Amino acid sequence: MGSNRFTIRAAIGSLVILGGLFSLPLAKESFGADGITPEKVADYVHAVLEANRTVYTTIIVNRLQQKGILAATEQWEQDHTLPLPAQFLQQTGRLVAESGRGIRYRLIGLSPIYSRNAPATQFERQALEALQRHPERPVTGIVLSGKKRYFQAIYADRAVSPACVSCHNSHPLSPKQDFKLNDVMGAIAITIPLE
Amino acid sequence: MNQAGSDHPSQTRWGLKTKLILSMLVVGIVPLIVGLGMAFWQGSREIRDVSGESFKALAMEAARKLDLLVAEEITQTARMANDPAIISELEHRRDTPQNHRGAAVETSDFEAKWAAGEPNAVRSIMENPLSTLLREYYTGIHNVPGQVQPPIVRASTKMLFLTDIHGMVVAAIGEKPELYHTQTPWWQGAYHKAIGRLFIEDLHFDKRINSYVFTISVPVMDQLRYEVVGVLHRVIDAKEFFSPATHTIRFGKTGHVMLIDSNGLVISCPILPTGVPLSDPTLIPLVTPLQPGWVQASSDGHGGHSTSVIGFAPLLETSRATNGSIDDGSWHTFVWQASEEIFAPIQHLFTWVTIFGVVGLLLLAALGYIAAGRIVTPVRQLMQAAQAIGRGELKTPIIIRSGDELEELAEEFNRMNEQLNAAFAGLTHQVESKTREVQELRQSTDQILDAVSTPILLIDANEQVQYANRAARETLDLHHNRSLPMPLFDLLPLDPTEQHSLRQAIGTGEVQASQQIKPMEREVILRDPLVPMNERPLTDHRPEIHLGSRLYQYQAFRLPAGPGHQSVIGLVLRDTTDESRLHEQLIQAEKSSSLGVLTAGIGHELNNPLFGIIGLGEAIAEEHSLERAKAHARDIVAHGQRMAAIIRDFSGMASKEGENQAIPVSLEDAMDRALALVEATSPTKGVIVTKLYNGGIHVLARPDQLQQALANLMTNAVQAMSGTGTLTLTTALSNRTAVATITDSGPGIPRQHLSKIFDPFFTTKRQGEGSGLGLTVARRIIRKFGGELRIESDEGQGTTCVVTLPAVTAAEGERSWAPTVSQSEPQSAHSSS
Repeated sequence: MGSNRFTIRAAIGSLVILGGLFSLPLAKESFGADGITPEKVADYVHAVLEANRTVYTTIIVNRLQQKGILAATEQWEQDHTLPLPAQFLQQTGRLVAESGRGIRYRLIGLSPIYSRNAPATQFERQALEALQRHPERPVTGIVLSGKKRYFQAIYADRAVSPACVSCHNSHPLSPKQDFKLNDVMGAIAITIPLE
Repeated sequence: MNQAGSDHPSQTRWGLKTKLILSMLVVGIVPLIVGLGMAFWQGSREIRDVSGESFKALAMEAARKLDLLVAEEITQTARMANDPAIISELEHRRDTPQNHRGAAVETSDFEAKWAAGEPNAVRSIMENPLSTLLREYYTGIHNVPGQVQPPIVRASTKMLFLTDIHGMVVAAIGEKPELYHTQTPWWQGAYHKAIGRLFIEDLHFDKRINSYVFTISVPVMDQLRYEVVGVLHRVIDAKEFFSPATHTIRFGKTGHVMLIDSNGLVISCPILPTGVPLSDPTLIPLVTPLQPGWVQASSDGHGGHSTSVIGFAPLLETSRATNGSIDDGSWHTFVWQASEEIFAPIQHLFTWVTIFGVVGLLLLAALGYIAAGRIVTPVRQLMQAAQAIGRGELKTPIIIRSGDELEELAEEFNRMNEQLNAAFAGLTHQVESKTREVQELRQSTDQILDAVSTPILLIDANEQVQYANRAARETLDLHHNRSLPMPLFDLLPLDPTEQHSLRQAIGTGEVQASQQIKPMEREVILRDPLVPMNERPLTDHRPEIHLGSRLYQYQAFRLPAGPGHQSVIGLVLRDTTDESRLHEQLIQAEKSSSLGVLTAGIGHELNNPLFGIIGLGEAIAEEHSLERAKAHARDIVAHGQRMAAIIRDFSGMASKEGENQAIPVSLEDAMDRALALVEATSPTKGVIVTKLYNGGIHVLARPDQLQQALANLMTNAVQAMSGTGTLTLTTALSNRTAVATITDSGPGIPRQHLSKIFDPFFTTKRQGEGSGLGLTVARRIIRKFGGELRIESDEGQGTTCVVTLPAVTAAEGERSWAPTVSQSEPQSAHSSS
């Protein structure tokens, strides 16, 4: 039973990697000279996401917390507080998904607090491992879900604020508790459908 | 008590004993009730608070437990949804185009077969490999080692099926579901615009299962977790699922935990059936906030309407997914215990304290009865003893052996009784001796009164003679055979006039005062024998009565009346028959002697010049020298003039009585004229005259007579000063009385002469200087005009003559004497300067 499942997963994983390797030049060609490559789109999106979250973290959350007005907590809906920066990004990702534009993004990590944020595919896992070594460049590729093809760009996500480090190191569900500032804690995975 | 009540019905209704017992009871009851009430109130509050807090804690704990239970179930379901075989099958179904005709016909065909329950069709789904996979998961084959799903939870899952992206059932275990589900709320909730969302459907009744169920729908994501490719749906019997968790939490007889949703529907409760709403809809908002807490509500949600303490807490994790989000519904635990049970301890306490209180009150009443008896019995003894003392019947001493104040009081009563007895005995003796004294006194008084020769009568207010002394009896011929009392006028046969005056005398208290004044007046009048007396009917006013041939002067006196007695009037009758006869004789003698003095005075006064005249006449007869004879003749003329003056004086005193035509006269004018007269006849060179006139005073008099009277007084004054000294003349008006004073600075009048100065012919001057009639005449004139003359003198200090006359109004005087006044004023101003 277990071996059977493993073989299925392995088959899918290899398929994704192959797709990622071979579909990249195809994708470029399909957009033509005037089109924008998915890499560019993902870059733009990522830049916006980073900027938004940085502004939220440094200007909104830090200030409100310093003034003692409102804190950012994990149970922000229930406590009527501010979402943590990571939750901020996930929340915007949910809204973007609900808007039906097709582009989606989420946070993934090799040691996530909640297992739903673990890498879903072999491609994501390998990308995370690659980003641990070379965080400066994103890992991109074309992945398949059934017959559907998607472009994925995975950007390293660093511990930009001490709050990130302290929260992940102290959360009871966190499997890894020795993060340091500026460590690569995970990645932002941006997925763009190619049909 | 009853005995005393029969004796004194009015006192014993609230007698001392009852009051004592009642006050003791009140003293006991009031703090008992207050204490009981406060203890009950405070105890209830504390029990409510403690229960509320513990219910809240229990509700939170139960909520956490139920949350975990649901989360476990979701995790279980999610693990199935993550199975790669399921995902790839669903991806495949998504990617297989369905819109060609053959497929559609095939599908509707299959749908009919499925609805009809054709075994091949059913088997094609419920026994396909995916269904087998689901069953394997369901039975726990794919569980992580060590993680065993509780069999009850497994049993409570009534349906478990997988739909593809089109809502069509792909695989199913348990009851046979419908084939298509795209229109159901759970499917759309879980699909959620292809993003996927956990969806827990609220409690509802499922007809297939014939039970109240809730469902968990987990979206199946594609392998990229990009979009939903199917939904895994689980239908769970709510009661079966939750009862193992909730029903085990019981405390007391009624305390339990239940699970409700935000609409107030019971999901699981040991008492209420699943699916019924809470009996009181107003309770729902109180117990379904998103924070844990406790509340005191007026009903319990189980049909009871007593005040209840309810703890509550939300199932936060579960509620997040109910109906898609926390805002669309939430689940809550509800911890409740019957209020009778919660407050049972305090009610037991209350009951017991009440019982103890009643027992205490009964004890208090019993003790109070005994104590009051111990206090009241001696008091009652004392009361009876006091009554006996009041009647004078207490013979035996009171014996109370209580050893307290009452015993002392009884002793005091005994002592008081003894002293009263002794005092009464002494008093009787004293009364006897006093009575004897009174009798002796009366006897001696009688003897004294009898020894008095004056008749004395005692008369009461009804003119009854109560007593007559021996003299009275003898005088009035009253014998012992005539009994007293008897009417006064039977005893005294008087004519009506005398009866009237006697009645007045004994009837009014003023009689005595008038009697005292009258003799004085009479005496004053009798002093001047030369004044012809106005024969006033004095006998009418005299307190005299005639009894037979004898005259009695009577005097009444009022004896002080004793309490309850009429006042008694004493009447003293003095036999003045002899006395008044003697008095008349005395008056006659005085008159003759005065005439003698007068005759001697006139004789003496006239003799001297007369002898001179005789001598001078003899001398002329023998004188040869004409000159000498002429000189003698002149002397004779002088002596004659002197004699004429004496006679004028005398006649002025005696003859001018009838002419008393009084007219208003200015007093100051009269004073000035008199002064001028005196200055003309007497040596006044060394006399300084000082006038202090009031001015404008008029009196009724004859001017020449008044002038003469004042001149007489001034002559006396000037002569007393022997020609040197100060003569002060004043006039004043006080209270319609004119007062004129003439004051000299002479040697004054010796004391022994003061009583004689008004006697006619009394003089201190040398022979030939004064007739001794000046003051007598002056006084008579002044009295005639209704005035009075008074001489005040201290020896060596000078003499003051005070003339008082009734004044008349100035207007009256002005009218008739205006020229005189205007004439006199410059003169007086000159004299005073």
